[in-house]
Amino acid sequence: MFLNIKNLTKKYDKVEAVRNVSFSAEEKEIICILGPSGCGKTTILQSIGGFIQIDGGEIILDGNKIENLEPEDREIATVFQSYGLFPHKTVIENITYGLKFRKYKKKDAIEEGKKMLEVLNLRGYENKKVTELSGGEQQRVALGRALIVKPKLLLLDEPFSNLDTKLRVSMREELLRIRDLFNITMLFVTHDQEDAFSIADRIIIMNKGQIEQIDTARNIYLNPKTEFVLRFIGSANIDKGYFVRPEAIRLSENGEEARVVGKTFKGSFIEYIIEYNGNNYKMIRLNNEEEYQINDKIYIEMEMREI
Amino acid sequence: MGIRNKTLKVMNSIKLMNKEKKTLDIMNSLLKIFTALLVIVFVLYPFLSVFGKALYSDGRTNLSEFQFIKGEFYLVKNSLLSASITALLSTTFALALGLMTFFVSERQKKIIMFILLLTMVSPPFIGSLTYIELFGRNGFITRDILKLSINPYGLWGIVSVQTLGFTSLNAVLLIGYLDSFDKTMIESAKSLKANTTSILLDIVVPLMKPAIAVSFLLSFIRSMADFSSPMIIGGAFNTLATEAYLSIIAKGNSPRASAMSVILFIPSIIVFIVYSHFLKQQQSASKNLRESQTRMKKSGVYHLVKILGLFFILWLIIQYLAIFTSAFTDKYKGEIYFTFDNIKDSIPHIRDSFIRSIIYSIIAGVFSSLIGLILSFYSYIMKGKYMKILDFISNMPYIVPGTFFGLGYIFAFNKSPLKLTGTALIVILNLIFRQLPMSIRTIQSSMTQIERATLNSAKDLGAHNLYILKDMVFPMSYSGLFLSFTNAFISSMTTIGSIIFLVYPSRKLATFVLFDLVSSGKYKIASVLSCIIIIVCLSVSLLSYRIFNRSSKNVS
Repeated sequence: MFLNIKNLTKKYDKVEAVRNVSFSAEEKEIICILGPSGCGKTTILQSIGGFIQIDGGEIILDGNKIENLEPEDREIATVFQSYGLFPHKTVIENITYGLKFRKYKKKDAIEEGKKMLEVLNLRGYENKKVTELSGGEQQRVALGRALIVKPKLLLLDEPFSNLDTKLRVSMREELLRIRDLFNITMLFVTHDQEDAFSIADRIIIMNKGQIEQIDTARNIYLNPKTEFVLRFIGSANIDKGYFVRPEAIRLSENGEEARVVGKTFKGSFIEYIIEYNGNNYKMIRLNNEEEYQINDKIYIEMEMREI
Repeated sequence: MGIRNKTLKVMNSIKLMNKEKKTLDIMNSLLKIFTALLVIVFVLYPFLSVFGKALYSDGRTNLSEFQFIKGEFYLVKNSLLSASITALLSTTFALALGLMTFFVSERQKKIIMFILLLTMVSPPFIGSLTYIELFGRNGFITRDILKLSINPYGLWGIVSVQTLGFTSLNAVLLIGYLDSFDKTMIESAKSLKANTTSILLDIVVPLMKPAIAVSFLLSFIRSMADFSSPMIIGGAFNTLATEAYLSIIAKGNSPRASAMSVILFIPSIIVFIVYSHFLKQQQSASKNLRESQTRMKKSGVYHLVKILGLFFILWLIIQYLAIFTSAFTDKYKGEIYFTFDNIKDSIPHIRDSFIRSIIYSIIAGVFSSLIGLILSFYSYIMKGKYMKILDFISNMPYIVPGTFFGLGYIFAFNKSPLKLTGTALIVILNLIFRQLPMSIRTIQSSMTQIERATLNSAKDLGAHNLYILKDMVFPMSYSGLFLSFTNAFISSMTTIGSIIFLVYPSRKLATFVLFDLVSSGKYKIASVLSCIIIIVCLSVSLLSYRIFNRSSKNVS
């Protein structure tokens, strides 16, 4: 494995923010750590980046133990939530700053920096101040600054949280393009399911400092291992250890009787609340299907699965 | 019938409400006008009086008092020279102390902050006192240890005493600025393999430029305006500030003193404009609330930072050790021994003056905070048009040198109907309005925490402006008021410049007694008095720090 985390533990004043966390990543893989705030996901990222000292465990990158190295000695680059751009420097100075410590001549560094701007669709931005840029542009400068030093691992801490929904979507695509271009391994922290589902090869679901499940998006959604994962990802109807996803409730003439008690138009789909066997269930139908009114009788089929 | 009755009742209550509203409106206007009058009479009027005295005589403009610029140019030169060197040194040391906080533990940082606080609650000429005791002709270090007999007075004496005194405030300013820094910039630089020297010189120091400029300029004007250090250890090295002081005290030549004060005011106003410009930048600096201790390798420039920082802290520690030892020891035939005699000897000097100082300072603290609150309410919260101008005027005492403000009070209030000279009231008023700018600043920064929506909700529910002040703004500004009181109390306890011409000889304050003691060479008793002032101010600020911390914890 390219990146190997073994039994990582970090305490803050005796409270374990991260407890015995182990996982690994292959080269060029995008791993996403997903969880509610305070679950320890950023702590994991900071431990790998070297910005905090860990209380136990091993971090192995490309065969080397790195948990005792200073951040500057790890072949890892980080893109921070607030980007951490240098506000007094221009775009090109920001992008090429890391090359200064890799014995680049100034001319060569600028050459490299221009190439990077090209890749990031920021041509012509060289001498702009980073404070003049929009959020999306700042984001790309931060990415470029991290990528230019050719790190073995790129860490991204909630990189899209300051962007609006549309920009988020295009930045996700951008990130996938960059992975293919640079063949880089990424570890990505977010609390946004869509971020994780759109770009991660595998997702780590965290809760209270521990890993609940590591799997592909599909498996996490379809086969949640714990109730936490089930509740955290998507929505579900849960009854005594069994669950059914709203879209898994099918209409069928041979089905059992249920009654519509609530209805919300959600755009591409309509969410119904139906009463069945004395319980309320959430059900989803696409908006081009037959529409029901409250109090309509419908016939449904569903398969409750064990958690 | 029933409906008619009800309608009547409602109409009556509306009438009553209207009547009440009118009363409140009148009270509101009265409060506004009263506050405005206070500021105009006790800030603007004395301020203009100094210009009047310097520029007009016998009913016409007269610039002859400014002749001294030609004839005694050395005064201007001396002031500029000592102020530049002091500003440079005190900023350098402060920068080193600020950068040191990147490398020390939280605990060590607290200790550094405590030592800095110590100097900020000390009377201003305490540095001169220890300087004489340690490096003077009979100084402990120069004579007893090094067996030298050198003349320590003059430019370098002034510079070293002022540097020691001003660095602390600069350092606190810079540390505060660094605390509000986006730490991810440093982490980004680290993850790009930047070493300590590069991080400090490429990222941190360039970003600190505004704060560095502010602390340089602040020390510069403080040095220009300081007359006590040059008086005590300047020897033959006279500055504008000492000459202005002597013109009044020794020669009674107030036009000359005014002219000199006006000249001293020029750099101050320039600095103030630059300062407010930088302050704006400073406020827009990004903040990062995540509290991760950024670690940096102790290498490269760090060593220089460490040497400068430690040297300064050591210097401070020696100073305070010297004062405390000198308060409790005496020398007999070259032998130093422990004694309480100095304390006994000091009792007649402090009995009245000390209690008077404390009472005056409490009054100044309370009223400057209250006036500050009302002014900030109208200018900052209500955004009153004329109140902005008033806000600017009330900031003036911050810009002008202390002696300038004191002179203004003499000229403004020496004739009826406002004949106040010689009374205790003029001293207290001077203290109140001298502290007002700091109070306004402290209170307004605590007001930034008040959400506009809260106030709008109160308005929406029908609360009159006065009720918003009383029920919302006042309780929500507790922390600011508290801090403002503490600051004003300490400044009043340790100040001398602005009130030196106002205090009646029989009603001296503690700092005056101390100044006299130092000037007349009674260093032992002066040390005792210094210790007491420090202890009082330190206890007040530590106490308020504890209460403040506790109350702010309760809120969050």
